[in-house]
Amino acid sequence: MKTRTKILLGVGGFYLVSLILILVIFGFTRQDNESFQPQNEFKLDTWISLPGPFDINKAVMYLFIAAFLTCATMLWIARRMQARPNRVQTAVEVLFSLMRDNITGGNLDDKMARKWFPFIGTLFLFIWFNNLIGYIPLPTNTEHTFDVFGVAVPGFAIYAATANLAIPLVLALIVFVSYNVEGIRAKGVGGYLKSLIPAGVTGGMAVFIFILEFLSNFMRLISLSVRLFANILAGHLIILFMSGGLAVLLGLEVLGWITLPLGVILFLFEVGLVATLQAFIFATLTAIYLGGAVAEHH
Amino acid sequence: MLATILSSVFAAVDDGADAGKAIALGVGGGLGAVGAGVGIGIIFGKVIESVTRQPEMRDEITGIQWLGFALTEACFFYGLVAGLIAFFL
Repeated sequence: MKTRTKILLGVGGFYLVSLILILVIFGFTRQDNESFQPQNEFKLDTWISLPGPFDINKAVMYLFIAAFLTCATMLWIARRMQARPNRVQTAVEVLFSLMRDNITGGNLDDKMARKWFPFIGTLFLFIWFNNLIGYIPLPTNTEHTFDVFGVAVPGFAIYAATANLAIPLVLALIVFVSYNVEGIRAKGVGGYLKSLIPAGVTGGMAVFIFILEFLSNFMRLISLSVRLFANILAGHLIILFMSGGLAVLLGLEVLGWITLPLGVILFLFEVGLVATLQAFIFATLTAIYLGGAVAEHH
Repeated sequence: MLATILSSVFAAVDDGADAGKAIALGVGGGLGAVGAGVGIGIIFGKVIESVTRQPEMRDEITGIQWLGFALTEACFFYGLVAGLIAFFL
């Protein structure tokens, strides 16, 4: 027998035996837990009260961390550029070429790409860091604290700033304003509005299509922001439920053990694919919208 | 007499609201998954088809594939999040 088969058999056997043990010890009875509110994981408690809408809460903290990481890592790498790149520099160079050649270069012409690459690159990195630090457990849960030598430490929780609709919405608004302004600057107000109608459409149909396209511009605002928000929120909620939340909610101990492997798999899926993919999509769509706004033909 | 009837009516209304929330979560998550599942299946099926037909285009197709995957998958989350909002808030 190969070592790999042995390990797999051992883990599987341990899982089954412990499943049966939990069933025997706790039984299969359900006691609904009314006090556990899963939505409170996403509630924003004010930590530092400031005048106006500038209160500091955990979403703001995550935003600061992501902004700091975006600037600091890139500056740090840029200062230490070597002719013979080490592993970190190679990774960043791969990321850089993804941003420059795939996201920006693939969707915009040369002049526009040079002009907008800093914006789209920063957008990509900022959302990427925001998503990724969302999967690191940080002591942010001020609702449930535990004692370490008499000091109340907030509970460790995973949370992402992008799981708030406000943050993707603001980013989408910036994108919306910039591609519309860019389109108007390229063609003038009348030309830009006229370019919403596809070539070859005339008469009453053109009016109808114009209204449709005009409204679809605003729909982009919703789809761009809600896509990112819903992906990250649903990802965090599914991880929460699968890795114990469901068991606590229903008071069914054995369910926690059944759903735990699923939770681990979903966590890896979210970290490995969704976090990067959503940042990539946001940046790519930004580039596509910018390119569409200045293109001669719709 | 009237009080007992009223309280049973209110209890029934509460049960109805709970049932509606559960249905919202089920429909939002379940039907959303159906549509997105079909869409993702079509995308990956087409990718296999086009890569077997033109293997030299593989890199280009992979980029488009992930774009389409993410756009389709997001549709599932629209339904799921709407259901979750209805259930928990």
